[in-house]
Amino acid sequence: MRLTFLNPALLWGLLAALLPVLVHLFYRRRPKPLAFPAIDFILKARRETQRRLRLKKVLLFAARTALLAAVALAILRPRLGAPEAAAAAAPAGPSATAIVLDVSASMRYRLSGRTLFERAREDALDALDGLGSEEPATAVVCGGPEAPSAAPPSFDKAAVRRALREAEPTFGHADLTACVTAAARALSESAAGAVLGKKLVVATDLTAAAWRLDAPPPMAQTPAGAVRPEVTLLDAARGASLPNTAVAAVAAEPDPAVGPRGFRVTATLAGYGDRPLHDLPVELRVGAGKEAATAIRAFAEVPARGTAKKTLSYDFRAGGPAAIAVALPPDALPDDDVQWLALEVPREVRALVVDGSPSPVKHRDEAFFVEAALASAASPVRPKVIDAEALPGARFADYDVVFLLDVRSLGAKAAELESFVEKGGGLFLSMGEEVDPDRYDAELARLLPAPLHVVKTAAQRGAPGAAERAARFSDIAWDHPIFSIFTGQAREGLESVRTWRYMLLKPAERVKGGEARERVLLRYDDGSPALVEGLRGRGRVLLYASTVDREWTDWTIRTSFLPAMQRFAAWLAGGLEERRDAPTVVYASRPLAAGEGQRIAALVGPDGRDRTPPRPARGGRASFVPDRPGLWQVKVEEAGAVRLDPRLAFAVLPDPRESDTTRLDPSELTAWFGGAVHAKVAGDRPAGGEGRSVPLWSLLLALAVAAFLAEGLLVA
Amino acid sequence: MNERRRSLLDPEVLAKLATLKLRARAVAEGVLSGLHKSPQHGQSVEFAEHKEYAPGDDVRRIDWKAYGKFDKYYVKRFEQETNLRAWLVVDSSGSMGFRGDERRLGKLEYASALAASLAYVLVRQQDAAGLVVVDREVVRSVAPRAAATHLGALVDTLAALEPRGGTRLGAAVDFLVERAPRRSSVIVFSDLLDPDDGVLRALAQLRRRKHEVTIFHVLDPAEIDFPYEDPTLFLSMEDARQIEAQGRDVRKGYLEVFGRWLGEVRRRAAEADLDYVLCPTDRPLDEVLVPFLARRERSAA
Repeated sequence: MRLTFLNPALLWGLLAALLPVLVHLFYRRRPKPLAFPAIDFILKARRETQRRLRLKKVLLFAARTALLAAVALAILRPRLGAPEAAAAAAPAGPSATAIVLDVSASMRYRLSGRTLFERAREDALDALDGLGSEEPATAVVCGGPEAPSAAPPSFDKAAVRRALREAEPTFGHADLTACVTAAARALSESAAGAVLGKKLVVATDLTAAAWRLDAPPPMAQTPAGAVRPEVTLLDAARGASLPNTAVAAVAAEPDPAVGPRGFRVTATLAGYGDRPLHDLPVELRVGAGKEAATAIRAFAEVPARGTAKKTLSYDFRAGGPAAIAVALPPDALPDDDVQWLALEVPREVRALVVDGSPSPVKHRDEAFFVEAALASAASPVRPKVIDAEALPGARFADYDVVFLLDVRSLGAKAAELESFVEKGGGLFLSMGEEVDPDRYDAELARLLPAPLHVVKTAAQRGAPGAAERAARFSDIAWDHPIFSIFTGQAREGLESVRTWRYMLLKPAERVKGGEARERVLLRYDDGSPALVEGLRGRGRVLLYASTVDREWTDWTIRTSFLPAMQRFAAWLAGGLEERRDAPTVVYASRPLAAGEGQRIAALVGPDGRDRTPPRPARGGRASFVPDRPGLWQVKVEEAGAVRLDPRLAFAVLPDPRESDTTRLDPSELTAWFGGAVHAKVAGDRPAGGEGRSVPLWSLLLALAVAAFLAEGLLVA
Repeated sequence: MNERRRSLLDPEVLAKLATLKLRARAVAEGVLSGLHKSPQHGQSVEFAEHKEYAPGDDVRRIDWKAYGKFDKYYVKRFEQETNLRAWLVVDSSGSMGFRGDERRLGKLEYASALAASLAYVLVRQQDAAGLVVVDREVVRSVAPRAAATHLGALVDTLAALEPRGGTRLGAAVDFLVERAPRRSSVIVFSDLLDPDDGVLRALAQLRRRKHEVTIFHVLDPAEIDFPYEDPTLFLSMEDARQIEAQGRDVRKGYLEVFGRWLGEVRRRAAEADLDYVLCPTDRPLDEVLVPFLARRERSAA
């Protein structure tokens, strides 16, 4: 409970309670001496009545002090109310008032069957109704994508009421510090209320994330200078705590251990309540729209006011675009109980492996290690190995990637291979004893990222000190999608590879009119390129300067070989870059780009409603601002037909700040606004009125009368 | 008694009379005028004892019959027979010096006036009046005599009294037990503020010796009503004790204690068959004396 005074300036009146003491001290006389014969009786009487007299004297003092103090307190007009319901005493005289209504996502919290927003709007409207006709008002709707702004207060209360009534809760974050600052600015600009008091009414749920208390508090400019406005905080939660559980983040990473299209989905679950949650059901949903289905049901332990990670593994049936969601049982704030993620499941890669140096001894076969790497259980690559003699019979178009391993010559197939790459196929070339640099340069001039030169022997294998003299990889392009998976100690698997012989490459020559682009992804420690990437048409070429068996290098027995080969295949097949952009937060702009020959016809929101697509900007790219979290799908028009393109679907995350429903201590907020003199928190009552706090002056007057009667009785 | 005479007996009026003699006379005359009949029964001479003649004795008193029998000269001694032999016991202790109002008589003055008036009346009626002045001890005494000339000595003694010392009425009782062998009237003028609770028991001892004991309990109205309101430092009049008190605070308790004490005094006096008369110093003296003398007259008849 909290005691407040309507007339605190009269507190000095309480000094009146000291009057009995002062009077006693002031009029305390020296006793008059008197010779009296019957002094024994006085002594006896005093002995008998001393205790009673002392008590009477104390009571008399108390009664007189209580009488004066009660009257003085009654004049102060005190009120007693709950902390949240501290009397929001109206400032003396009329005020220009700005009503700030919080429409952030946390206001969608349901409490006792109603959302906090509904309560807050009602409170705000009540506050508006409580204003006098001589008090101008304005409204600031706080939350959502727009920056807070407010018109100067006006006497058009109907417009303010309309603005408040038409306000709807958003999924965005509310920066109430900015909003009250904007409201104070509007009060400052008020021509109608320049000479009036300044008052802010904030209807909110008092979540801490909405306030930046390190910023300066709002000040209103008046002709007399800057003043602190009188602030009334209307607590839509009525002092109740707002426990909430949310899916704070979802991440998915390929997990070969699960399967060729396996993913490990890690969900971060956040608890914003005072109690830990045990056996909280967690669902992994796969698919969008009507095809969505629960794939995994699990349970999680979420600590109080903390986070927990839950990992779920799932092997997709097919490659291609997919949507997943991690969902919790809906709670009072259901919008953050599910979080979507759009991802690209690797497709099956068909690879043709041409073995230019076959051998009956398996580990000496040129294609042995490559085939083993590509055909491993978790690999999406389906390799087909043929000898170089069978090459003329092969049909490149049936594959996504072609591996030429130490192949002497392509002959007539060179042109087909060139066409294959131009149309989007992938080509991997490795060297060996069979490779004739001149013939390669002649046959594959348009494909090779760099012309071949001569074979260099860095060290004679088996010779003393060969291991030290062997070439090692350096200048590794870790940022390239192929090598980006190598992190931490995994890089050791690449950096420790020793190569005794390798093909020296000539500097790349640009083909006239072509769009050749080359990039060296690996070098040997002498600076010679070890792996060069070339883009040819819609296809890709990787040229590796050594062998993929153990003849020239020991890479094949290093741990990095298997994932590297799989990444080569995926990269060449165009699978690695088919990763989706990270999900964006609601109200954050997101670029949209349709495929070739496509036009975005509409966007389908998580609620199933179609939205008009944004117009492309000057650069040809369009951007879209999603207004709610969830999975957004895109309808494209292609060849006259409109269909949902799963490749364009994207996930939008709820604003994590709004999931944190931890409430602010009202005293902190009132202190920020300038203390109890300037700010009050009104809880379970509409603002602008007298509230439900208990007026005490009548009780005090009754106490004064009682003290007066008691004093009379004691004196009598 | 007409109003004029009545007003003369008012203690405030008497207080203006300078001397005790004047006061006593005024009172006695007033008192005597109010009595219907004098209690006087005549005068006689009664043989008391023989005394061997010594030069200087009145030769007319020689008992010649005794000379015939014993061949020695004996002188007859006579004692005057009176109606009453009264001992006036006056308490002159410090507490008797209290005067609650300057316009009134102090307690000792009032007691002295009463005693002198009574002596005046008694002597006028041929009764013998003696005096015992006591505080802690008997400080002065005058043997009872009925001669008119004796009255002056009594009044002078009373007029010269100064209140001082503590109170021990038992000293007077002891004195009287020793000096008053015959049946006498003992009249005590005191405030009875004696630290010895047995003072009434001592007086009862006199009653048992066939003396008629009358107590004139002299109190100032201020002692009875305790009219003090303000903070007062009460000083003892007989010792060094003192107490600071708010008059209005202790008044109620004082009156209760005082009332209990007064009731106890009355009860004990009645039990011991002592005549008790409460004499506030604002009470006219004739109102005190006339009922007393009338009662005595009735008992004598």
